[in-house]
Amino acid sequence: MITTKRAGTALLSLTLATMLAACGSSGGTESQDGKVTLDYWLWDDQQQASYQACADAFQKANPNITVKITQTAWAQYWQNLTTQLAAGQAPDVWTDHGSYYPQFVGSGQILDLQPFVTRDKVDLNQYQAGLADLWVKDGKRYGLPKDWDTVALVYNSTMLKEQKLKAAEMAELTWNPTDGGTLQQAIAKLTVDENGRNGLDPAFDKTKVKVYGFLPEWGDGSQGQNGWGDLAVANGWTYLDKNPWGTRYKYDDPKLAQTIDWYKRLIDKGYAPKFDKQSTLGRDAVLGAGKGAMTFAGSWTINTFLGPDAEQKFALAPMPLGPAGTRKTAINGLSDAIFAGTEHKEEAWKWVKFLASADCQDIVAGNAVVFPAVKTASDKAAAAHRAEGRDVSVYVDATKEQGGTFLLPITEHGNEVSQIVQDAIQQIVLGQVGAAEGLKKANDQVNALFT
Amino acid sequence: MRTTRTAERSQVTEPGDGNGDGNGDGNSDGNSDGNSDGDGGTKAGAPRRGKRDDRRAAWLFLIPAITGFVIFFGYPAVRGFWYSLTDYNLLNDPAFVGADNYAKLVHDPQFWHSLGVTAYYVVINIGSQLLLGLLLAALMHRLTRSVALRAMLLLPWLVPNVTVALLWIWLLDADLGFVNHLLKALGFGTIGFFVSPDWAMPTIGLVNTWAYTGYTALLLYAGMLQIPPHLYESAALDGAGELRMFRSITLPILRPVLALVLVVSLIGSFQIFDTVAVAAGGSGATSAIRVIYYFIYQQAFQYFHMGYASAAALVLALVLGVLTFVQLRLLRASRSDLA
Amino acid sequence: MPRIGKISAWATVAVALVLTLFPFYWMVRTALTPAAELYADSGALFPQHPTLVNFLRILGLTSQEEARAAGGSGARIDFARYLLNSVVYSGLIAILQTFFCAMAGYAFARLRFPGRDFVFGVMIAALMVPPIFTLLPNFVLVKNFDLVNTFAGMVAPTILMTPFAVFFLRQFFLSIPRDVEEAARLDGNGAWGVFWRIVLPMSRGPLITIGLTTTVWAWKDYLWPLLVGREEETRVLTVALGVFLQQSPNTRPDWTGLMAGSTLSVLPVLLLLIFLGRRLVQSLNFSGIK
Repeated sequence: MITTKRAGTALLSLTLATMLAACGSSGGTESQDGKVTLDYWLWDDQQQASYQACADAFQKANPNITVKITQTAWAQYWQNLTTQLAAGQAPDVWTDHGSYYPQFVGSGQILDLQPFVTRDKVDLNQYQAGLADLWVKDGKRYGLPKDWDTVALVYNSTMLKEQKLKAAEMAELTWNPTDGGTLQQAIAKLTVDENGRNGLDPAFDKTKVKVYGFLPEWGDGSQGQNGWGDLAVANGWTYLDKNPWGTRYKYDDPKLAQTIDWYKRLIDKGYAPKFDKQSTLGRDAVLGAGKGAMTFAGSWTINTFLGPDAEQKFALAPMPLGPAGTRKTAINGLSDAIFAGTEHKEEAWKWVKFLASADCQDIVAGNAVVFPAVKTASDKAAAAHRAEGRDVSVYVDATKEQGGTFLLPITEHGNEVSQIVQDAIQQIVLGQVGAAEGLKKANDQVNALFT
Repeated sequence: MRTTRTAERSQVTEPGDGNGDGNGDGNSDGNSDGNSDGDGGTKAGAPRRGKRDDRRAAWLFLIPAITGFVIFFGYPAVRGFWYSLTDYNLLNDPAFVGADNYAKLVHDPQFWHSLGVTAYYVVINIGSQLLLGLLLAALMHRLTRSVALRAMLLLPWLVPNVTVALLWIWLLDADLGFVNHLLKALGFGTIGFFVSPDWAMPTIGLVNTWAYTGYTALLLYAGMLQIPPHLYESAALDGAGELRMFRSITLPILRPVLALVLVVSLIGSFQIFDTVAVAAGGSGATSAIRVIYYFIYQQAFQYFHMGYASAAALVLALVLGVLTFVQLRLLRASRSDLA
Repeated sequence: MPRIGKISAWATVAVALVLTLFPFYWMVRTALTPAAELYADSGALFPQHPTLVNFLRILGLTSQEEARAAGGSGARIDFARYLLNSVVYSGLIAILQTFFCAMAGYAFARLRFPGRDFVFGVMIAALMVPPIFTLLPNFVLVKNFDLVNTFAGMVAPTILMTPFAVFFLRQFFLSIPRDVEEAARLDGNGAWGVFWRIVLPMSRGPLITIGLTTTVWAWKDYLWPLLVGREEETRVLTVALGVFLQQSPNTRPDWTGLMAGSTLSVLPVLLLLIFLGRRLVQSLNFSGIK
């Protein structure tokens, strides 16, 4: 009986202990000896090594701070981050993106860095023009720029040769939403059916395509950074009334609908895979498997296509010339943001300052993965790519061309806008609704968010 | 079927202490049994019909359960209702907004869409699961009663939904999946099972059918065991075939059990989330598979609309409440049928 | 029974078995395939060069470089730990919930006190509330107690009771003949003594049933641990698999690693089935419908 009583008491006290623990408040990752661990999140597995190198250098200089890097694939990154924010368990510092940060600002999750920037006299002119200002709202600064990216055409150069296309032609492609210009001609030629006939051949069998000339990206949110957005802007479209912090989107503009319609025609002709038959793998995997010839690729994918592990021989071409005779590519910068609820503000700031400094960005540049935001480091990255024998000049040239780049929209409700527009565009390419009608409906829904 | 049996028994015994066992004074070892000798109020040597009062013991027995209930069922239910009347976003202090969330919900096409998608899933999932389960149960009942067979059929039910989803996403992968290899080898085109909006929801429904059919079959089998064997024997003497016996003996007698299983799985089916969450993978769930649980999850944890999500959850609770009510009615019906 | 009927009946059983078991075979087969061969050889029934490297790397037994080379993202993963977390999570819930619910069920079945039917009725009413409704406020509650990413926070809502377990065990206790208890009472046992020495030992069957069902339920649980136990220290297998899927290289899921992880999540229930299969199968007849 005594044992049973003891067991019962033990169980009871365990429960009570649980409850008590529940009532007590604790938290924080600080250990007794003053050592601090900073959680740092990023999404690109290709960049993890570079930032680990930065972290190593940082830890050497600050032995009392440890940086723990967590990588989560893009698709789940924001969902994870919001859940952790909701739980009050967000990382101290995270890699931030223009279309997502406004909602965090709105809910007071990001620390204003301006006081630190002023205090430590950080030189904001060292960055590529425009990047630092992306992260300012109402005089408060919610991040320091870390890198930038632009978009270009990537193609399989072996297939290009087989179809007797020249690299020089690729550099001068034109595009318009009516007949697709020479870009569409190139896509047609690169599309090959199982009998070896290309897309221009009258006997081309679009039901048995072996290699698609072009791979569109349909999981591209509200911005179409990897394709439809760039082309629509080249077609004279603008996303919204003003950027950043506009409140009226213009997805109902016919110039966008024309662009999406053009994509749809590519699919109908068999030059691009049907939405419901597309691979569950990403575009780069399909290109790597030799089942696609060309796509739009951001500069963050350089290593995928030109790196030593690439399964095919690829080369880059600039964006096609639009109807108005100019090339357009989105330029997008990322930043590092500090969680407003972090218990280690000073340490986190130190880390962010280091990430945004030439010291860290030179390390990143040396690994030749992305283009760092610091101008001098950016040049180093280009040089590092050259040293590896990769020609990535199209990405850099785009930033030097007058009016060649545009900034992606930064507004409130980015998350919801993204889902509404992506749904609509998917429905359109599936043929469930016409482009004009679907986009008009989506635009109404989007703008209703801002009322 | 044992459940119904237990329920029956409870019917009999429920009215409490009618059969008056209460020889109260059960409690002389109080010293060794300090924290639970609760028959405090007993009148020693009370006559046999006397009321024993176990008040103290009872409340001690109930401390953990009541604590758990109040903190994690009662309080949250009240809280959830309160959130649904506020603009709570997990980070602010909730401010009362009246019925705004409900008004918005009624006009939210996404909400109705997700309910429709869920209903579509439920029909596919429950329909196929019940039919196949019935077939398997009949085979286990009439053909072989091997425990090993039953155990093997139960395996998918024991596996986490996440694993089930992963397994099938891989088997059905548009490029590398085994099933598409098979389709190609047989001369059919490949199918983007999880990608195509036409296929995605039926695929998920059937995947969960795969996971739960064994379980359903065992429940139905248990129900079939209650059917007196002599019915089959005499029917066989009359020259009835198996199909005929199934139609004229098994089905009619099983009907109440079937109804019960139907409603219970229906309610479980409405709460599908795991498979969709895993299948959503890439760029979030496409609208074709955005079920109601996913909708609520998204509103709460992606958009921070906690108040709105709570309102949606309450509406779902009401829908399920109605279904549960129907279930209880059927339970009663089935009880009287079997008794 | 006509021959044809019998043959087709057996054929149906065979098809059902193949359909049930083949996915598991394919899971193991993929897990044993080197990632590099997966794309070339994804249709063959057997891997050409079977390897254990996928298991080793998800258990954290290879270096990051080796893991990357074998098709992983190089992210830190330690499935041994998640497996342990899952065992702790489901074990803790199953044991304590069963025990506490047995106490409550007994009180509702046998002890007499004012308000009994009312309290019981309120608890049973909670059966009708779908989990999603209490999930959101419970998350806030656990968050406010600062218990996110702790085992205490993860098990708190279910460790003390679930309405179903209370209901189920009460129904069973009602069916125990009273004479035995009466005799024990006459022997001088209090309520606790009767419960502990007489009722519990007599109820091994239903206790194991409810314990097993709860174990399986907790083992499969995903949404709640996803919300409150995402961090490494408390991550259970299901959540780990989800996270693993996300941590795969951005565009190419690490299928060999995922299938190795899936195999690990199936292994324990397979053992359960092998050793407790009969019990489990019978317990279903017994518990009826949860």
